[in-house]
Amino acid sequence: MSDTEPRTDGGTMTTTARLRRTLDQTTVEDAGLYVVLIFAAAFYLVPIESGLVTSFKTGTAIIETAPFAPPGASGLTFEKWQAAIDALLRGMGNSLLYAVPATVISAFVGSVTAYGLTIPTWKQSYKAVVLMLIIAGIFIPYQAVLVPLTQFWSQWVQLTQTLSFVWALGVPDDYAGIIELVITHVAYGIPICTLLFRTYYKTMSDEMIESARLDGATLRRVYRRIVLPLSGPMFAVVLIYQFTQIWNDLLFTLVLVSTESSPAAPVVLILAGLGTSLEGQDFALRMAGAFFAALPTLAVYIFFGEEFAEGVAA
Amino acid sequence: MATLELDSITKTFQDGDEEIVAVDDVSLSIDDGEFLVVVGPSGCGKSTTLRMVAGLETITSGTLSIDNRVVNDVKSQDRDIAMVFQSYALYPHMSVRQNMSFGLEESTDLPDDEINRMVSETGEMLGISNLLDRKPSDLSGGQQQRVALGRAIVRDPEVFLMDEPLSNLDAKLRAEMRTELQRLQNDLGVTTVYVTHDQTEAMTMGDRIAILDGGELQQVATPLECYHEPTNQFVASFLGEPSMNFFDVTLEGDRLVGEVFEYSIDESVQSDLGGVTDLRLGIRPEAVELVDEGGEHAFETTVDVVEPMGDENTVYLHFDPDADPETAATLVATIDGFNRVSEGDTVTARVPEDAIHVFDRATGEALHNRSMEDAAAQIDL
Repeated sequence: MSDTEPRTDGGTMTTTARLRRTLDQTTVEDAGLYVVLIFAAAFYLVPIESGLVTSFKTGTAIIETAPFAPPGASGLTFEKWQAAIDALLRGMGNSLLYAVPATVISAFVGSVTAYGLTIPTWKQSYKAVVLMLIIAGIFIPYQAVLVPLTQFWSQWVQLTQTLSFVWALGVPDDYAGIIELVITHVAYGIPICTLLFRTYYKTMSDEMIESARLDGATLRRVYRRIVLPLSGPMFAVVLIYQFTQIWNDLLFTLVLVSTESSPAAPVVLILAGLGTSLEGQDFALRMAGAFFAALPTLAVYIFFGEEFAEGVAA
Repeated sequence: MATLELDSITKTFQDGDEEIVAVDDVSLSIDDGEFLVVVGPSGCGKSTTLRMVAGLETITSGTLSIDNRVVNDVKSQDRDIAMVFQSYALYPHMSVRQNMSFGLEESTDLPDDEINRMVSETGEMLGISNLLDRKPSDLSGGQQQRVALGRAIVRDPEVFLMDEPLSNLDAKLRAEMRTELQRLQNDLGVTTVYVTHDQTEAMTMGDRIAILDGGELQQVATPLECYHEPTNQFVASFLGEPSMNFFDVTLEGDRLVGEVFEYSIDESVQSDLGGVTDLRLGIRPEAVELVDEGGEHAFETTVDVVEPMGDENTVYLHFDPDADPETAATLVATIDGFNRVSEGDTVTARVPEDAIHVFDRATGEALHNRSMEDAAAQIDL
């Protein structure tokens, strides 16, 4: 830096001069770092970029241009997006119908469970056992429960019959599958939600909770007025995580709803068959569908982004 | 407002197979409106005792009564107790006003406007009216401390419990708050138990102080009694800064013989000793006098270190000028700040007989203390 002249009139410095100055100060290490970063960014972005440009291409443009190249004026079309939206919109509604309640309920149940396992003073040994049982739930793979899960919903709890009064109102009884999905995802989500909230509640000040107890608040009131309002950042983490998991899950939907022709078919089921036919794959339609189906998860990330960062840091 | 009675309170913790006694058979009786300071070194069980009174820890054995009602099995929230924590424990998502009204909302059926009025009044009393709408994170440490205090005061509880409430403040603010807390407690007249490890706080604030060590109660008395008539060596050494000088001595006839000096005692002191010969002589630094010429109870000493404090000097004296300063017996004396002595000087230190304490070396128990009357008379001089 010793050879650069001291700046006396910074305000009038030209862009080129500033650029040269920046270049002068850049070392080989810095340059290397940027090359690696740019390369890594490109590596991760190319598939997404390819998908995005493909979704706007006509059939001929897909054959004639490279996957990552833009379509060009003649090859540009919004038709595929139109088709994808038409095909998926009803599935979006169905997906939201179970993903939103399942996310909210599992997060809330996880939070209450974690509170019960962290704050009140019960015997340490009981807490450990209960916690261990809950945590064990995280490690049960989806595939392992598919058979018992189908048996449970088809033989033991038959919602199609139990809720017959609902179907009598004109709701197609395929929607029993949606309710089954809500309950299944809540049950499957409780362990991880509990673990996440417990980690967070462990860091809360004991004295603050004790102070609230001495102020006359019952355990329930302490949760309602102290712990819950302070859980915002962790709720953001859990909501994003759970929503993405549940929205993207194909396995449970295949087992519990199964057909894409069902009026209750979630978006993932319809997407699985979108653009595939005997004549071959319609890449543009599949890409448009994939991007459209991913929009809600993207929205959730953007919506809770700030709290998410805070919660992850905590 | 209430009396508080601890009767043989014991707390044990289980650590693996080992049983740890945190609080051992502590009995205390606190009068209505009294300010009791519980003091002791860290780990002495003082906080555990306070937490048992609050109901945050179970009591292993013994009974705890508030206003003659046994509350061992009464939950914290039903004991009508307010506690101020060292960390203040404010609710970070609530404004100061909400922090202060929380307790009233949870423990009473008062209407909102009444609660608001009480919070505003308390805020005014503590000089935090202008902070009521701020969040705790926007406040300084001292302001947070006031809010924590306000949160306790506004509830007008039977008993105040304070767990080292001033130890997170800087020295100047701490001294101010000490005075203010005392004034507040006087005005409100609420029975208060105040836990601290700071002997200055104990001496200056309490109506009485209870000194704990190793889970056991050492002495409960007024600050001056504890200072001048300690029941044992622990109390004597814990109170006072710089702390009391101790010398191992053996009784031989009418003399206490130490490693580097001999000290003659008269009959009244001898009779107090009850035939114990392995003794420890104690003398407070401020009782040591520097005199011009020798005589009885005067020793020739060399000044090792002088610590000027402004109003007074703390001097470290050695009996043997050639001794290794690291290991030699040291006599600490506090003398007038204008008394110019410097390192290496030879001075004559007198240890007046009416100011000495004698302890049993084996048990640490005090056999002879200076009398309070003598001490008071000396202060009058």
